[in-house]
Amino acid sequence: MNASKSSPGNRLAGRSLALACLAGTPPALADSTMLDTLQVHGFLSQAYIVTDENNFFGTSSDGNGSWDFTELGLNASIRPTENLLVAAQVLSRRAGEGDDGDPRLDYGVVDWQMVNQQDRTIGAQFGRFKNPFGFYNQTRDVAFTRPSILLPQSIYFDRTRSLALAADGASVYYEERLDNGLLRTQFGVGRAQVDDDVEYAIGLDSFPGGFEADTSAIGQIRYEHDGGRMVFALSTASVHADYDSPGQVPGDGELAFQPWILSAQYNAEYWSLTAEYALRDVELRGFDAFADEQNRGESWYVQYTRRFLDDWQWMVRYDSLVNDRDDRDGSKYEASGRGPAHSQFADDLTVGLQWQPHPNLMFAGEYHHVDGTGWLPAEDNPDPDDASRRWDMWLFQMSLRF
Amino acid sequence: MRHLVTRIMLSFCLITVLYWSGHQPAAAQDTGAEDIVVIANRDVSITQLDRDSLRAIFAMRQRTWPDGQAVHVFVLPNDADVHAAFAKERLAVFPHQLQLAWDRMVFSGTGQAPHRIRTQQEMLEAIASTAGSIGYIAREYLDERVQVITRE
Repeated sequence: MNASKSSPGNRLAGRSLALACLAGTPPALADSTMLDTLQVHGFLSQAYIVTDENNFFGTSSDGNGSWDFTELGLNASIRPTENLLVAAQVLSRRAGEGDDGDPRLDYGVVDWQMVNQQDRTIGAQFGRFKNPFGFYNQTRDVAFTRPSILLPQSIYFDRTRSLALAADGASVYYEERLDNGLLRTQFGVGRAQVDDDVEYAIGLDSFPGGFEADTSAIGQIRYEHDGGRMVFALSTASVHADYDSPGQVPGDGELAFQPWILSAQYNAEYWSLTAEYALRDVELRGFDAFADEQNRGESWYVQYTRRFLDDWQWMVRYDSLVNDRDDRDGSKYEASGRGPAHSQFADDLTVGLQWQPHPNLMFAGEYHHVDGTGWLPAEDNPDPDDASRRWDMWLFQMSLRF
Repeated sequence: MRHLVTRIMLSFCLITVLYWSGHQPAAAQDTGAEDIVVIANRDVSITQLDRDSLRAIFAMRQRTWPDGQAVHVFVLPNDADVHAAFAKERLAVFPHQLQLAWDRMVFSGTGQAPHRIRTQQEMLEAIASTAGSIGYIAREYLDERVQVITRE
């Protein structure tokens, strides 16, 4: 930047400033007050879901389909000083029996960029921050940032989404601009959110006790090459929650969840190829009613999206989930009498289409052919034995934003 | 509950349609990379930026100029030729990637959206009158009220 001192532009700027001073008036600049930086944005999505078997977000299999999937968000942000950003978003999400649409604070942060140089930015977020988990988690409820109506469920479960959403605490980020690349690291410590969905997924929903979040950590390293032509990321988290049982059954216990996600994406002008692979360690310990349990789940998907005719996009994706790597087909699980084998895996072939006739309006439709019920929401399907192993699902969605 | 949701959705539709009807595409011209200049308010002390810094600023990841002054980013509509040429040639990113990057910032509490400007004439006015601002125009629109930020 030494060269800039003698550049013509700077000399010109200096001269204009001198002229302005001579004239006795400051340069005619709009007063950029704090209020000028206030921004308000929002989004709304309404979906219609039909399944042939099993229920997904409401009574989707009763022949009439389900309208019980609505996402509504409103956020505001302001920059009180040069390096501070204050931002908050309220989210109302209705998703079958699992989410009732009660508005909640999705995030609320004070973001402080303490170092801002030509080639690096260092900052920190305090408050409720969104977890940088894989490619899509931070904006998972905003249709315009998703390649499909449903994100790949093997990694972005809607079934137990609360654990991954956001954390209350602090997070630091460090961005280094390399030669034709960008390295971004983020690390956060805080209290995760643990809702009833976790109890449902573990099968503790019938007991009066509940989980209480403990301190958790999350980290991500992300590298973007050549303006995002290639993107790689590694995310990990260590999430802890304590189960408080008022009675003897199942007794107090602990939940530990440690996922690792490896993400890769190639972006061309008209197409993108995306793949993510995750290992999930889930541990339940200390409960009186059952022995300590530990297993490692595996998830991955490969997705191809293709843009055409300016505002259209189609996609195809294969998504695979295994709850326990030592019991891929669920046969041991079924033999132990805990439930059907097909509740332990899911393979989902999806094809989808998006049309954006205006930057703020999007229509989408997609078809899922699923083998397995591994990510079927427990709240919508109370008895796993009633669920069908093979099922098909159609979704349609209209989304707006401003 | 369903009635309320329906009503909110109808209101949203109406707002969108109203906004849409007022939306005019920016004047389309065939503009090559060499004819596009990055411009800044004259109070900005930086006169050169390399591509990575320019990218960080236009992707809204960097909120201040290297000297600490707040940056205010102005952009033309996504479908404007000048915008597409600027994104591809000066930033080496595709317009849809830039839009996705903005959406991810705006809806995750990590940043703000750039200011939208409809025409290059309005761009020039906005840059000339906003302290710490940065934008871009076709060279033929350039005048002395703004300064040019050159490539490092």
